[in-house]
Amino acid sequence: MSRRTVAEHRLAWLLCAPTVIAMLLVTAYPMFYALWLSLFRYDLRFPDERQFIGLKNYFSVLSSEAWWQSLSNTLVITLGSVSVELVLGIILALVMHHTLIGRRWVRTSLLVPYGIITVVAAMSWRFAFDPTTGFVNALLGLEGAWLAERWSAFFVIVLTEIWKTTPFMALLLLAGLTLVPEELLRAARVDGASALQRFFKVTLPLMRPVILVALLFRTLDAFRIFDTVFILTRGAQSTESVSILGYNALITRLNLGLGSAISILIFLCVLAIAALYIKGFGIDLTHREGA
Amino acid sequence: MFIMLPMTSSTRSTTPILLALVLSILVACAEQAQETPRLRWYVFNERSGAFEQAARRCTQAAQGRYQIEFTALPADADQQREQLVRRLAAGDADIDIIGMDVIWTAEFAKAGWLLPWREAAANRLLEGRLASAIDSASYHQRLWAVPFTTNTQLLWYRTDRVDSPPKTWDELIGLAEQLGELGTIQAQGERYEGLTVFFVSLLASVGGSVLEPDGRTVSLEDGPTRQALSVMRQLANSSAADPALATAREDQARLAFETGESSFMLNYTFVWPSAQANAPEVAGHMGWARWPAVIEGQPSRVSIGGINLGIGAYSRHPELAFEAAECIASESNQRLAATLGGMPPTIEALYDDKEIRETFPFAEQLRETLRDAISRPRTPLYADISLAISHILHPMREIDPAKDSERLRNAVRRALRSEGLQ
Amino acid sequence: MTAVGGGSGLKERLFWGLGSALVVIYALIPVAWTVSLSLKRGADLGDNHFLPRVVSLEHYEAVFRDPQFSAALWNSIGIAGISTLAAVLLGMFTAYAIVRLEFPGRRLILAAALSIAMFPSISIIGPLFNMWRTLGLYDSWLGLILPYMTFTLPLAIWILSAFFREIPWDLDKAARVDGATPLQAFVRVIVPLAAPGVFTTTILVFMFAWNDFLFAISLTSTNDARTVPAAIAFFTGSSRFQQPTGSIAAASVVVTLPIILVVLLFQRRIVAGLTSGAVKG
Repeated sequence: MSRRTVAEHRLAWLLCAPTVIAMLLVTAYPMFYALWLSLFRYDLRFPDERQFIGLKNYFSVLSSEAWWQSLSNTLVITLGSVSVELVLGIILALVMHHTLIGRRWVRTSLLVPYGIITVVAAMSWRFAFDPTTGFVNALLGLEGAWLAERWSAFFVIVLTEIWKTTPFMALLLLAGLTLVPEELLRAARVDGASALQRFFKVTLPLMRPVILVALLFRTLDAFRIFDTVFILTRGAQSTESVSILGYNALITRLNLGLGSAISILIFLCVLAIAALYIKGFGIDLTHREGA
Repeated sequence: MFIMLPMTSSTRSTTPILLALVLSILVACAEQAQETPRLRWYVFNERSGAFEQAARRCTQAAQGRYQIEFTALPADADQQREQLVRRLAAGDADIDIIGMDVIWTAEFAKAGWLLPWREAAANRLLEGRLASAIDSASYHQRLWAVPFTTNTQLLWYRTDRVDSPPKTWDELIGLAEQLGELGTIQAQGERYEGLTVFFVSLLASVGGSVLEPDGRTVSLEDGPTRQALSVMRQLANSSAADPALATAREDQARLAFETGESSFMLNYTFVWPSAQANAPEVAGHMGWARWPAVIEGQPSRVSIGGINLGIGAYSRHPELAFEAAECIASESNQRLAATLGGMPPTIEALYDDKEIRETFPFAEQLRETLRDAISRPRTPLYADISLAISHILHPMREIDPAKDSERLRNAVRRALRSEGLQ
Repeated sequence: MTAVGGGSGLKERLFWGLGSALVVIYALIPVAWTVSLSLKRGADLGDNHFLPRVVSLEHYEAVFRDPQFSAALWNSIGIAGISTLAAVLLGMFTAYAIVRLEFPGRRLILAAALSIAMFPSISIIGPLFNMWRTLGLYDSWLGLILPYMTFTLPLAIWILSAFFREIPWDLDKAARVDGATPLQAFVRVIVPLAAPGVFTTTILVFMFAWNDFLFAISLTSTNDARTVPAAIAFFTGSSRFQQPTGSIAAASVVVTLPIILVVLLFQRRIVAGLTSGAVKG
């Protein structure tokens, strides 16, 4: 290796060192610490009864109704929100792409849900669906408390998630739309293809890479949902997501052993989802950083 | 901050003066910091201001030796516990006196977050206080908090619709059903602590208990448990039940009763001053009785509630905190809490007091109930157990006594092994 | 964008125009409702009218008088601000190295950044809580700044890399040929080119840090370090049984207005920043 290359390597490592240190200290180390904690019976309310119990915490979690219930809840929320977000996102992207009047206002207003604090968004929708102070019941002439029943609570949670995160999806898809070459579309129109056919046969396939990346990130985000559920129901009516379960175990009940086991299981689930997308759908993320 | 002053002749004469000034200010500050130790009292923000007044009174009585600072916690008991527990686990030295819900005693004591009272002081405090209240503040034969206020449920009913109050649950439900639309019974059926209170009370009324006396093994004997569960099921499925039972807490029950469209209510004593203030037409026909029995002839036993005052283990002034807590929980402040805030006192003699009897016309019935009241399971794992119970028993109308009795035993067993996940 | 002229064009324009109007309504309805709630009188909160019949500023007064809220605002601004500065600074160094230098481990760093972006933060809440309480960082600014900085680093690195890749770095050579020192060349040529990217990254990273809730409620408990999202979630009402709807609505509006302002002024930059990662390469 030439001296110049060595100097370059050293400079690069120097520049990257702070980042790497931060990532190791604040993410990698706690992750291993979580793994370690999960092998103990460790409840901060009984600090002297700490003992090594191997994988028993994992057996407890995997054999409890609460874990499977929250896992299925999380999957329901994830599938529900991501599927609608994809469709709605494409529609919004198309609108933004074709609009001429007030394009600036459309994009600005779409950025509002993106920029709003999630807690504030969830509060706003909680107020909207509140039987006393909200407008939804008044508008639809209904009486019930949406957040007091399981499935209507799910509806509100999913609705809030969709409202808040579709704009981000739409923006990514909009960028993807601009990648579709005009000549192809024009050629298709000349060949007699209708607008719908052009969309499904030309536009969508060309947007596939962007769609997959957007889906990957949205699925992971939806799986990790916490703020929205916390504010809307706090997990009541069996709407707990896995993150809420983990939070309750760790912070509300200070059961660091069991809570850490839940944390590790959540991490494995996230890994599985990412692997599914990367291996299964063949997203190539590495090409993105350039040559 | 050190400022480098240019050394001119004028500065040379003013510098010593400046130094003296700065020094004297520093000394004054230090003295201030040492002067009146501030004791922080963490308790929920009591609406009538009785707690704040008590804090002020005791600060005055201390005559400069300490200052009690009333610091408000959220209104919800679960949120209060959450905040306290996290800060105590982190060794917060700012927490001196804690207004504890009775169910936290075992948990906080075991975790080492409280300082126990010494024998001499304990004996002095326990004289004249209700035994059941003392029970709720004790764990493993030591006193961990001084009982301040207490509370328990009574059966409230409309005297204009019912001649004499029902004595058993069967009677109550039968009577209510007979009254038709106006015969609704108000109770608490939400998935929260109140549901556990309901179950534990019913269970105790038939002689059962959640845990064995050692506090470490499950009891929940099949017979009594099934009986208690059947009562809950019967109530929830009766035509006399409020349709919103599954989401009702104490306040919803109170509001519903105050509309006048219910004839019975199981609730705490705060409903009395509330009805007087908000619904005088209802209050004019409001009677009270002991909580219904499950078995005829066997008087009911209800869970006790209330506030005990504990001393934080990391407090910087523990001795002063003990003194302050004793003062806050003294007779005159209990009287204040009762008359101003509607919170029943823990000193037995006060139940014969004229002022108290005026505020609580039901004082006699209340004292009787309190004498027989039981503590909810006294174990550090109570929070987990309560969650498990309320999760299994909600909603009440879907209770299956045989199946749920078994589910309860399993869930409580898991909770005791710190494997509870709810 | 292609504009098809003529009669069919008008129909198309109206069609998409209607679509835009619907989009705007979609985006702003809950915000509008919250604003309306914040301006209603306490007694009118349950009247179900979309617009307040009588405008009252009582909730705003209550919110600003509440020491909890002003402490939370100060904490949020400080903590998010410092974390953003740190993340952007570290991100700049790393992005520069990734874009301009060849070195082993480049892929690894990007992969690590990616994995942090996908990481469930709930997984480290327990360890962080335990670590912070033993180190005395619990309920402190630093206790939140460290995780915020780390979790916003991937975003900063990705966006800055995308922008830095577009910069013609060799332009500074031209300036040096003209006689400028390396530093002068860097400041006069490179910095103006890099500035927009850095600015956009700062906005996006700040929005991300400002938004965090999980770390905020797990690692704080008092006004010392509690941020706005945590404070709003735990707003206690004035009385034991009253829901503090009006105050929460007012607080929400107060923290959302700056965001709306930023979005209004910089929407083009923000969109460019967000989409650069997905599309480039």
